Amino acid sequence: MLTIQRLTKKFSGGKGIFDVSFEVRKGEVFGFLGPNGAGKSTTIRHIMGFMKPDSGTVTVNGLNTWREQGNVQAYVGYLPGEIAFFDGMTGKTFLDFMAKLRGMKEPGKRNRLIERLQFDVNTPIRKMSKGMKQKVGLVAAFMHDPELIILDEPTSGLDPLMQKVFIELVLEEKARGTTFLMSSHSFPEIERTCDRAAIIKDGGIVAVKDIHELQSMQRKLFEVTFETPAEARAFAESGLPVESIEGNRARVAVQGNYDLFAAETAKRKVRNIDTFTQNLEDVFMNYYDRKEATRT
Amino acid sequence: MKTTLYAQMMKVNLRGFLNYAFGSAFYLLIIFWLYPGIAKNAAAIDSIVDSMPEGFGRAFGFSGFDSAEAFISGEFYGLILVLILSIVCVQLSTKLMAKLVDQGSMAYLLSTPTTRGQIAFTQAVVLVTGLVIILGVTTIAGFAGNAWFLGDEYALDTSAFLQMNLSAFLLFFAVGGISFLVSSLASDEKKALGIAGAITFGFFSMDLLGKLSDQVEWIRSLSVFSLYRPADITNGNANIAATSLVLLAIGIVTFGLAVALFRRRDLSL
Repeated sequence: MLTIQRLTKKFSGGKGIFDVSFEVRKGEVFGFLGPNGAGKSTTIRHIMGFMKPDSGTVTVNGLNTWREQGNVQAYVGYLPGEIAFFDGMTGKTFLDFMAKLRGMKEPGKRNRLIERLQFDVNTPIRKMSKGMKQKVGLVAAFMHDPELIILDEPTSGLDPLMQKVFIELVLEEKARGTTFLMSSHSFPEIERTCDRAAIIKDGGIVAVKDIHELQSMQRKLFEVTFETPAEARAFAESGLPVESIEGNRARVAVQGNYDLFAAETAKRKVRNIDTFTQNLEDVFMNYYDRKEATRT
Repeated sequence: MKTTLYAQMMKVNLRGFLNYAFGSAFYLLIIFWLYPGIAKNAAAIDSIVDSMPEGFGRAFGFSGFDSAEAFISGEFYGLILVLILSIVCVQLSTKLMAKLVDQGSMAYLLSTPTTRGQIAFTQAVVLVTGLVIILGVTTIAGFAGNAWFLGDEYALDTSAFLQMNLSAFLLFFAVGGISFLVSSLASDEKKALGIAGAITFGFFSMDLLGKLSDQVEWIRSLSVFSLYRPADITNGNANIAATSLVLLAIGIVTFGLAVALFRRRDLSL
């Protein structure tokens, strides 16, 4: 569906993207992860045909996105990372305008989306909050039933309830065979929607992984409160990667070795367990650092 | 050409076009209204102008008060209209291209099945439509003013009047093309406005300077504004066919380049 082959774009100052290749298969939800400035947006600009590659190609449905700009867009829905609308429009006039530019006739899907996302479509855009603009952007990206939807940071600005609605929406579209590429920082949304994800760092693809593999790479921090400080110290000596002890509390990083953690914890009297999920950025930074370490 | 985009852009900009058009028309009507009074005292006013420094009258269009079209060309077509349309060209061309790229809404246009060529061409047509509306309303106001205030007593040479309007349109077709080219290549709205403004008002000042003094008259020939000579049209010294062709060519080339280069450039949207 979407193929990126050896895509390279150098900017002055040595930044850019270098030899980026990956493929998004039809019907797949593909995550695109990386810290700010890693090259996510630059890659997406090439997918949308906003930039001309120095070398390499991006194709959607076999069409080159730079040369066939204007034709490719018939199959694609797009949510920009930073949404900018036109002056003097309300949500409704904007969506009407986009529908006309797309030559859409049937507004049924659009109206259903507006109802799902629950916002007043007649509000002037300049008076909208960030979350509301994000909703208008999501409707514009989904309303024409595109085969491929590119979402740049789709849930930024959405409240937790709407994030949940968004995830449902993506899963429904996925069930209908729509392909997605979405860049994100939020692990829950990637975890619950994506099949695979690519990790980009400093302009290069570090890894393309199955989401389950990424999940197993995710470390969880547990903070266990024992009855006594002695127990906490004994716990720390049990071979678990304990990061810190403070009185009767011990903080331990668990990655895959849940059995040992559960066994060691159960040996003692436990008052409380708190968990901290590592965010996605830390997951792949961690992954990246380890790869660097093995290389040197 | 994308009619949906054209309709939207016209909807947003029409009020501005009409404001400039009616402002310009109103000013022109005042000039027409003034003329009969001036014409009665033409000799006295001519002697005042003669007492001014040489070149001064030429620069600010005191080119003669002996005919209605000469008065109108001097008082309106020589300066006021040029200023109005210069501002329109610089502002509008920036708004139509560079602003959309700078603020990012161009991304939405390009995410629909619309080619960059279609977008740039449509925006160019919007700019030209604006010029046509402003000059069209002004021309109509001229004929109305002629009928109202001049009547048979002070006949207006309508063919010279039409030529002035046509020549003004072609000048701003060229100036608009240059501004539009700058705007199409810019990623920063303020930069586009600054560069297009500097070029347009630079040309304008060079033309004015050249008119003021014979010693630096050569400087005029560097400016596109020297191809527009309403005073010469009224006294029959203008080579309107040749200057019109050059202005038309500059406009077509710059608009064409703007569309062609916009298709090839990188957009950080």
